[in-house]
Amino acid sequence: MSDRRRVNGPSGGTHTPIFSKYLAKDVKELNRPTRVRAPNVLRKMFLKTGVTPSASGSAYLEMEPPRTRNAIGPGLASLSTSGLKLTCTVHGPRPLPKNAPFSPHIILTTHVKYAPFATRKRRGYIRDSSERDLGVHLETALRGVIIGDRWPKSGVEVIITILEGEEDQWWGDDRGRGSISAGEWGMMSVLSGCITVASAAIADAGIDCVDVISGGVSAVVRGSEISDRLSPGMLVLDPVPSEHEEIVSACIVAYLPGRDEITDIWVKGDIGYGSQSSEDNPSYEELTDNAVQAALGSHRVLVGALKETAALKLAR
Amino acid sequence: MPSSMSQQILLSPAELSYLHTSLSSSPPIRPDGRSSTQFRPLIAETDILPGTNGSARICFADGTEAIVGVKAEVEKSRARYTHADEDGEGIVEEDEGRGLNEWVELCVEIPGMRDDDSMPVFLAAMMSEALLADGEFTRRLYINRRFHWKLYLDILLLSQPSSYPLPLLSLTTHLALLLTKFPRLKSEKDEDPLFDDDWDASVFLYPRSSTKSFDRPPVTLLVMSVNGNIMFDPSKEELSVAEVVLAVSVGERSRSEEGDMVIDSGKTRDLRLLAVRTIDPPSRLTHPGVPNALNTATGGSAADTSEKASGQRETMAEGSVWQPPRGGAKRHQIAAMIQKVLEQGGVAEEVMAGLDGVDLG
Repeated sequence: MSDRRRVNGPSGGTHTPIFSKYLAKDVKELNRPTRVRAPNVLRKMFLKTGVTPSASGSAYLEMEPPRTRNAIGPGLASLSTSGLKLTCTVHGPRPLPKNAPFSPHIILTTHVKYAPFATRKRRGYIRDSSERDLGVHLETALRGVIIGDRWPKSGVEVIITILEGEEDQWWGDDRGRGSISAGEWGMMSVLSGCITVASAAIADAGIDCVDVISGGVSAVVRGSEISDRLSPGMLVLDPVPSEHEEIVSACIVAYLPGRDEITDIWVKGDIGYGSQSSEDNPSYEELTDNAVQAALGSHRVLVGALKETAALKLAR
Repeated sequence: MPSSMSQQILLSPAELSYLHTSLSSSPPIRPDGRSSTQFRPLIAETDILPGTNGSARICFADGTEAIVGVKAEVEKSRARYTHADEDGEGIVEEDEGRGLNEWVELCVEIPGMRDDDSMPVFLAAMMSEALLADGEFTRRLYINRRFHWKLYLDILLLSQPSSYPLPLLSLTTHLALLLTKFPRLKSEKDEDPLFDDDWDASVFLYPRSSTKSFDRPPVTLLVMSVNGNIMFDPSKEELSVAEVVLAVSVGERSRSEEGDMVIDSGKTRDLRLLAVRTIDPPSRLTHPGVPNALNTATGGSAADTSEKASGQRETMAEGSVWQPPRGGAKRHQIAAMIQKVLEQGGVAEEVMAGLDGVDLG
């Protein structure tokens, strides 16, 4: 319901045909991607700053795509898997326009947009509610880090384009049904990537921060193709939604390792009651602690990338 | 949200400092004299709109008011790619009674804000995420394999948002959903649905059971913390000095299947955490105070350059003049806030008990 001023075409669009051959009796044949990493291992990450010369700061982040176990199979485009690819540009700090009211702080604007081709289903050019939601989360995460009162009367824009998004579920599970549980699990890893890449770009732009912030995701997943019965929930770091049959709950934190603080936390799903933890249902606190561990992992990559940037800038 | 919230904070650094000090004393002294877990008084009315399937209105004492109307339509489900062979049956059974997230449409209207502003979008996302968190809600909208109810939740804030309107909207939505009724289904299985036109025979979306505890829609509570003091239902002034603000969604599940065990354990409610989000505290956008030593009007000397000024400001002793909070929240702080909501005899139980007191017609 984001755009009521125009008469838009149907939002749903049409479905791609799914041939009965692929609605296979044996789903195993269909190359469901499975998690080959250990539960506490993150995906490989590539991070580079200074990719956009015209912006005052920029960064690019890429995550390794999930691997299918046996690569033989039909070479259809729809079977391809994608990793996460994000670019971030930071413009500013620059003076506010003349007619803007006085502000004692830097005015932070965040803008997160999926490229139209970023996901399996095409995204429009107007930002939809989930993109705005991501923008608000990113703003919350960054505002606590930037030392805003060093730049009164100025503004900074953080713009993130998602070139390749994370899928919310495995395409083979989507038999034209849409999502069932809390859904949109892909958004969690996207947000975590957004936070990390924005942090690198802000550091590249030379904006003063209290610490380098990084994002991390953890999730409770259930079920694999081996067992039919309800298996107990398992905690994993850096989940790829298409690799798991069911995600019970997930948590993303924006973490400041130097201060041991969290500026943004977002937990959703069926988390269960309070601090009691059972084998089946890890508690809220375990979920956050694991997300913090994931954030520490991406922090290491971030620091490495920033050291490279610094060496490059000093050599010049 | 921040741009519109910042314009509303019209407190000087001295006032903010005063508020901060009184809220960080123990026990906290809140401007309106409430205790830390006390909510503002409110008036709730239910079933006010005859044209809806369920409706509610809540009015806070400070004049903020919200109306929620729930409308339902029968809609044809999307065709599913299932197959009739022996392996397919398992999938069909699993699908039985499952709902999709797209069957619910939630819309928040706040006066003076465009519907693509970040605040309504954020509020709608937060409330629908709590509603859809465990997949139990959409299950209720299932009619048969070919049809389902499409539920439209329209949330209207009637007054200007004087404080963060999340608890108000969430409580109103909760009441409206509790009262939502569907006409009774007369047709069987996969026939085209045919309904009983007797409204007295209609069934509740959340069926009442004889026991005290039954499934309930989720409630989202706003929790804030200042210097380790945890407070609920913050007003606008309190939010302007908050260090951490969390929105915590809590749902309740019936415990009928466990029967006697409920009485043994002594716990009356099975509360479940559904979602947690941090909210950007508006305190980060407040004006910092200037200490006497840096103020030429009080005999101090202003710094020569802006770098020096910020350097002096940032190395100032804590608690001298108001400084907007910087950085994030400690992990144990957030955990303590959630614990305070969920613990036995905690605020969530109290809120649920309070909502039980509303006359549900």
